[in-house]
Amino acid sequence: MAHTMNAFFPVARLSDIPDPGKEVVECDEQLVVLFHVDGKVYCLDDVCTHDGGPLGDGTLDGCAIICPRHGAQFDIRTGEAIKMPATQATRKHEVRVDGDQIFVKLAQRRQGR
Amino acid sequence: MSQSTLATGFNQESFDAFIALRDEPSWLTDLRNSAWKRYCSLPMPSQRDEEWMRTDIRLLHLDRFSLPVETDDVTLPTAVLREGVTLSGMLAMKDSRVIAAELDEQAGAQGVLFGNLETMVREHADLLRPHLLSRAVDPLQDKFSALHAAFWTGGTLLYVPRGVVLENPLCTLTALSEGQVDLGHTLVVLEEGAEATLLSESHSMPDCESGFHCGAVEMLLAPESRFRYVNLQEWGRGVWHFSHQKALLDRDASLQWTIGALGSRLSKVNQHVALVGEGADAQVNGIMFSEGRQHLCYHTLQHHEAPSCHSDLLYKSALQDDSRIVWRGMIKVDPLGQKTNGYQRNDNLILDSSARADSIPGLEIEADDVRCTHGATSGRVDDEMIYYCQTRGLTREEAIRLIVSGFFQQVSDRIPLENVRTALGDAIGRRIREYE
Repeated sequence: MAHTMNAFFPVARLSDIPDPGKEVVECDEQLVVLFHVDGKVYCLDDVCTHDGGPLGDGTLDGCAIICPRHGAQFDIRTGEAIKMPATQATRKHEVRVDGDQIFVKLAQRRQGR
Repeated sequence: MSQSTLATGFNQESFDAFIALRDEPSWLTDLRNSAWKRYCSLPMPSQRDEEWMRTDIRLLHLDRFSLPVETDDVTLPTAVLREGVTLSGMLAMKDSRVIAAELDEQAGAQGVLFGNLETMVREHADLLRPHLLSRAVDPLQDKFSALHAAFWTGGTLLYVPRGVVLENPLCTLTALSEGQVDLGHTLVVLEEGAEATLLSESHSMPDCESGFHCGAVEMLLAPESRFRYVNLQEWGRGVWHFSHQKALLDRDASLQWTIGALGSRLSKVNQHVALVGEGADAQVNGIMFSEGRQHLCYHTLQHHEAPSCHSDLLYKSALQDDSRIVWRGMIKVDPLGQKTNGYQRNDNLILDSSARADSIPGLEIEADDVRCTHGATSGRVDDEMIYYCQTRGLTREEAIRLIVSGFFQQVSDRIPLENVRTALGDAIGRRIREYE
C-alpha cells in the first residue's frame, strides 16, 4: 500500500457533480469530498475536526459545508473552520480539472508518515 | 505453493459453495443459514448508527476478499507469547485453516479437548451444541456477527472437564497471508472447578499487510472454574479486524482476560463479560498502542446479572502519529446485581498532537446497593519528565520509551505471566519513536 504523495489521482467526472453540489469519492485509500460551486471544484477531507462526522453528508451553503452532526461549518475553499463546535481546519486538497476529469492530489499529513 | 479459493466476496454464490463443502451436523448448517439470512437483511453499518459513529468503514470492500479452500503453504510467523514456556498444547491456524494441533497426552487422558473446532464440532456435536453460538456471542447481533456465524472456519476448541486443572498454558497462533481472510471461532468451555490458561496471538505473515478478520471468542465458565486468557492482536497495518468476544461467568468463577491491540488498519471489537452467577470475578486488562493512521475501537461491557460479583477493567492506550483509539465502556448492573463491585478505567497517553483518543465510560445501574466506579484520563507526556530523564543522560527517545513503559506498568503488573509481560513490553517498545 504505497502512498504516492505527489501524484494527482483521477477521482470523478465533472459532469457527474451538479453545480452547486458535492460528492464523496475515494482517493488513494482515503475518503474526500468534492465540491462543485460556481464553476470551480474544491476538495476537503470527509471529516469534521470536531467529532469526526462525515462532512459529505452535510448541507452545502454557498461556500460553506455544514457538518450534519453538530452544525460545525468549514469553508470549502480553504478547509478553515468558520463556525463552532469545530475550531480546527480540515485538510484541503489540491484539485485539477482536465476536460471532464477531476484529479486530486492529497495534502500531506505529516513528514514521512 | 498452490491455493484455490471460493468465489470472491461474501454473496449467495460463495455461501452456497461454502455450505456445499461442509460436513457438519444439520443444526450447525441451520445456524449458518439463519445467520446468512440475517447478514443479507442488514445494511452495512454507517456512522449514523450510534455503535459506529466514531468508526468509518466505508473503505472496507468486502467483495475483494474470499475464503481459501486449499493451501499447501504451512509457513508461520514467529510466535512471541510462548517463548520459554512449557505448554500443554498448541494450535496453529493460517488463512482460516488449522494446520497444526497438539495436546499433551496427560491432558488428553483427563478428557481435555483442544484442537480444531471445525472438526471437533462433528466429533463432539452433543457436547458442543448447547454452547456454540448460543449462550455467549449472539450470531444475529449485527452484520459482522452474522457474517462470522455464517462462514466461520477452523478455529479453536478448548474443553476442560470438571475438576481438571491444567498447570501449563495452551497456545494458539493465527496467521494471515497477504489479502487473505480469517474467520476463526474460539470456543472455551470450562466445567465446574476446572482451570486453564490460553495464550492466543494473531499475526500477519512477514511483509504482509492487508487482510480481513471477522471472528468471535466465547468463554463459558462453570461454577468455581478459573480461566486466564491472553489475546494479542498484531495484524499487519492493512488488516480489517472485527470481533465479538464474550465471557459468561457462573457462580464463583473467575476470569483474567488480557488483550493486546497493536496491529490492524481498523479494529472494531465488542468485548463483553457477563457475570451470571453469584460471586463471579472478572479482571480485564487492555494494552493498546496505535500509530500511523490506525483506528482501534473497543467497546467493553461488564454486565452484572447476579449479586456479589466483582469486575475490574483497566485499559491503557498510547497513540502516535495520526492514529485514533475509541474506547466505549459500560458497566451494567441488573436489579438482581446487589452488592456489585464494578470498576472501569481507561487512560490514554497521546504522543502526537494529531492523534486522538475518545474515552466514553458509562454506568447503567438498576440495583441500589452497589459500588461502581469509572474514570478516564487523556494527556501528553510531561515535557519536564523528558527533561529530567535527559539530565540523567538519556536521549529524548530513550526518555520517551521509559515514560511510555512506565505508563503501561500499572496494567502490566496485573499480568502474572512473565512471558506475556515481556512480549507485550517488547512489542510496544519496537513501536515507540521520538516525537516533538
